[in-house]
Amino acid sequence: MTHQVDQDARYKEAAERFGPALQRLARASEANPDRRRDLLQDMHVALWRSFALFDGRCQLSTWVYRVAHNTAARHIGRESRHNKAQLSLEDISHLPDRRSVAAALEESDGLDRLSTWIRRLKIPDRQVLTLYLEDLPAAEIADITGLSPGAVATRISRLKAQLAKDFQEQTHA
Amino acid sequence: MSMTDIHSRAGRFQSRIRTRNLTEYAAAALVIGMFGWMAFLIPVLVVKIGAALTALGAAYVAYMLHRKGGAGAALPDGAQPCADFHRRELLRQREALATVPRWYLAPFVPGMLVFVGGVSFVADTGMSLMARFFQFGSSTAIICGLFAGVAWLNARAVKQLDTEITALDAARRGE
Repeated sequence: MTHQVDQDARYKEAAERFGPALQRLARASEANPDRRRDLLQDMHVALWRSFALFDGRCQLSTWVYRVAHNTAARHIGRESRHNKAQLSLEDISHLPDRRSVAAALEESDGLDRLSTWIRRLKIPDRQVLTLYLEDLPAAEIADITGLSPGAVATRISRLKAQLAKDFQEQTHA
Repeated sequence: MSMTDIHSRAGRFQSRIRTRNLTEYAAAALVIGMFGWMAFLIPVLVVKIGAALTALGAAYVAYMLHRKGGAGAALPDGAQPCADFHRRELLRQREALATVPRWYLAPFVPGMLVFVGGVSFVADTGMSLMARFFQFGSSTAIICGLFAGVAWLNARAVKQLDTEITALDAARRGE
């Protein structure tokens, strides 16, 4: 009984602190609103179940993001025939036409386009990008994803290069 | 989500797995029952043997489903970095697809061939020898074609998974 009380308490703390991040991840992972709702609920259940095993071996944020992203990855694998084909970061050529990513995120149509763009990425790139957009440092992203810090930094810099390219095109347009 | 909803959904998840397993066992039981009944009812010995072999094949598949069902997908936990979890998922799917021809399709082949052979050549249907050969050939071709098609689709999916695993390993190395 005490064990379940601890599990419930940890879940409540995590849900309160990371709930909005889970919602953003679900949005970036699933286009269909009904399946997105299912995915979000699956993330919460997976998080609750995982706290039966949590032993403080890593930061709470690392644990939560790992569970959420692993749940999303399994969902993406299962639903891949419903979503569009996934591309690598190199293939992405279209970005929201805003002055900055922050401005794009403030407007729902920009957010929709950004989410659509993210959903087309392959899983490792998608995970790095969504964690980057949560303002996590590269070291923590590396810890969550299991990629080397160098690999994370490379992916992030390629993303920034793509952003810069898009901004330059907008400026010249 | 409220704690009540969490507990309820977690319980439903387990029920879904049990229901899926029961559905697969029910399908196997149907095939076993159908061919077992044919083995009992049909007077031609070769056809009886074919039906019995097919029923045994279905029983073997049900046993393998039960054995593999115990090693199901791991729960997403926070102890595993995402790349490790994703790689394990890809390998699990690859293993399942790569072995389907061996334990899911092959057990049915002997029984189906003997059954079709018995129906074509031994049963007293009044057909000419040529017509019997044609019936056996076309039935065998359809069965083999279906199985080969499934095996080919699985092999293609395995190749796609291999490509994904290779790309993931490259990403982990920082390439």
